[in-house]
Amino acid sequence: MTRTYRLSHPVDFAIVGSGAAGGVLARELAQAGFSVVVFEQGPRLTLADFEHDELKYWFTAGITNDVVKNPQMFRDDRVKRGERNLVRPSLCYARTVGGTTVHYTANYWRFHEIDFDERSRLGSIAGTGFADWPLRYAELEPYYTKVEWEIGVSGLAGASPFDPPRSRPYPMPPLPVKSSGVLLERGARKLGLHPFPAPLAINSQPWLGRPACIHCGFCQGFGCEVGAKASTLTTMIPQAEATGRCEVRAESYVVQIVIDKRGRATGVRYFDRDKRERVQKTKAVIVAANGAETPRLLLMSANSMFPQGLANSSGLVGRYLMFNYTARTHAVFEHELNEFKSVQCSRVVHDFYDTDPKRGFYGGGGIDSRIGPQPIIWADRIGDEGPSWGRAYKARLAEFPRTMQVASHGTSLALETNSVELDPELQDAWGMPAMRVTYKDHPDDLANVRFLQARATEIMEAAGALRVTSAPVKPQTSSVHLLGTCRMGDDPAASVVDRYHRSHDIPNLFLCDGSSLVTSGRGQPTLTIQALAFRAAAHIANFARRNEI
Amino acid sequence: MSFSRQRGSAGAVHEDGYSRRAFLRAAACGALGGTWLTLDLAKVARAAHDAQLAHESPGAPTTFLSRIELADVDAIAAQIIPTDATPGAREAGVALFIDRALATFFARMASDFRSQLAAFHVHCQTRYPDAPSFAALGNERQMEFLTQIERTPFFERVRLLTLIGMLAMSKYGGNRDNVGWKLLGFQDQHVFQPPFGYYDRDYPGFAIEVNERS
Repeated sequence: MTRTYRLSHPVDFAIVGSGAAGGVLARELAQAGFSVVVFEQGPRLTLADFEHDELKYWFTAGITNDVVKNPQMFRDDRVKRGERNLVRPSLCYARTVGGTTVHYTANYWRFHEIDFDERSRLGSIAGTGFADWPLRYAELEPYYTKVEWEIGVSGLAGASPFDPPRSRPYPMPPLPVKSSGVLLERGARKLGLHPFPAPLAINSQPWLGRPACIHCGFCQGFGCEVGAKASTLTTMIPQAEATGRCEVRAESYVVQIVIDKRGRATGVRYFDRDKRERVQKTKAVIVAANGAETPRLLLMSANSMFPQGLANSSGLVGRYLMFNYTARTHAVFEHELNEFKSVQCSRVVHDFYDTDPKRGFYGGGGIDSRIGPQPIIWADRIGDEGPSWGRAYKARLAEFPRTMQVASHGTSLALETNSVELDPELQDAWGMPAMRVTYKDHPDDLANVRFLQARATEIMEAAGALRVTSAPVKPQTSSVHLLGTCRMGDDPAASVVDRYHRSHDIPNLFLCDGSSLVTSGRGQPTLTIQALAFRAAAHIANFARRNEI
Repeated sequence: MSFSRQRGSAGAVHEDGYSRRAFLRAAACGALGGTWLTLDLAKVARAAHDAQLAHESPGAPTTFLSRIELADVDAIAAQIIPTDATPGAREAGVALFIDRALATFFARMASDFRSQLAAFHVHCQTRYPDAPSFAALGNERQMEFLTQIERTPFFERVRLLTLIGMLAMSKYGGNRDNVGWKLLGFQDQHVFQPPFGYYDRDYPGFAIEVNERS
């Protein structure tokens, strides 16, 4: 039962984005009795559309933003003009109903308590925007639990001594361990570390009407063909529509938030699938378009009242972009692991999660066992760690079934210079300004992942690897973790949204997605983004009921 | 003159990629050299293979590279993943895959590719004036030359395209008979069951008490 709303009839909420946060907000607000239209740039796909096609999903647009139609400029320094990406976008996200939850890896560890108040614990870091969140872990805990039960997460509560307190165990047991998980566990235990089963938003058994994982191996970068991986396409979105109050408008690309003379949002202007411009009237706007597209939309919506873009009195819209570094280590063993089978990750180590000032740099992280990943990407990346062509390289390729990867996921410090802006010249296929991305890792971020990579090497050596190699840690030029660009905070001069995701400048404009994060965590941000979305929805519904929007 | 500086001198490059001079010289050699019967067996094999490649080219309007360009790309790809006891890039059909890709789904990189390939050709001829093309060089000189340019954007681009042509689904024209997947030991199946590999076969289960104790 899907509802269709008239453009001229103001709905309660226009939600821009149908992904991790947008899907949750749509369901929660529709179930709370509000009328909702969700706008999604990309098409609506079904499970039958998803294929094991690495070329399509990794080297052509597939389901992601497209370097041809949605070009981006990248530079590592603000004085440079930058370069246009031709293979993969710098800021990559899935452009389809369900957003990035359709193609993510579904690693679902919670942020720890320190992720929210580390600035108070450690003090300031010169030259950075390192700050506390306006909320603490305890306030978010009920919403983490809500995600785990209503989206569906497999895991083992209490398995990691470093996990923050939780009010409820996971609804499903962990997925079967892989050979890489056994080896990570073996090596880590020998070193006195505390490996634990990876929490994943993938069904280990049938849950909420979706089947258990069939171990096909195509999670990272692919849509799950049976729906065992929990995307909002298969969870929140249909549930929102089932209320009869939510319309999902696919292939509807929002390019402007319309503001009236009082400085309030009254509608969203968008291109429909035929590139015709439409305006949907609305009483409030929630932008959940991800950490790249949310700031871009605010900047594109600049008008005479808000010449620097909407919600940008602080000047921080698009600033403090954070990625999370993932450093790779590969280990070759005597026997076959066949990492191409099943989920991407089955064991995690959080012993180095916290910052330790004795190391001489800020940061910490998680280390996990990983799939290779798929053949082309693996074959490309393995060349970073030894011969990259010729006979020796070919011999290395044949070691694929006996190779595992260990990924070291680290922190990114918030730097004002790392940003998403509008490019002054480059335009997308709709004639709208393209994104210009500026990013350069803080030296501590690189030192941190080098440290983690050394630990990963020790773990693999302890596990009995025949050979361990690591990709050199180089500055990042791209990411799928798009964080921090409209950060939340109590001070309107130092943040874009308040603790309830309401923009400081426009009372009926809310922003909720990866852009809200104040710190990067140690990777795996989607669970936290969804917990924030559940929490935001509860507050926004209350504001609406009390006529406070 | 460095390779990267040559890349910048796009003024010498015609629309079709090669400089006119290089094109005429190649044409005068009959593309693969009229004297190929007098060359050593490896060269004969390669030339025959190149001819077969050109012959096999479906003749569809999607073909992007000229025969000379195709032969060079094929020779580079065959150095990246050589044929030894097991099939390499040649058997996977990588060169034709690249040709087709540049005409279709990788058209966005086609013009860059063509000018880089032309610069590669000129650079190769400058260094080895006796050879009409990279493909006509012997194995050792091919490896020597590629080692010199392995950090250039052009080589990195050909390398990536070679890997894609080797390992993408065979419906795209490469990875013939799944030779790339066989090389890796990759299996594309919809359903797998544990145990997945050797090390998870006899896993006793996760001992949560070990973490709790320590």
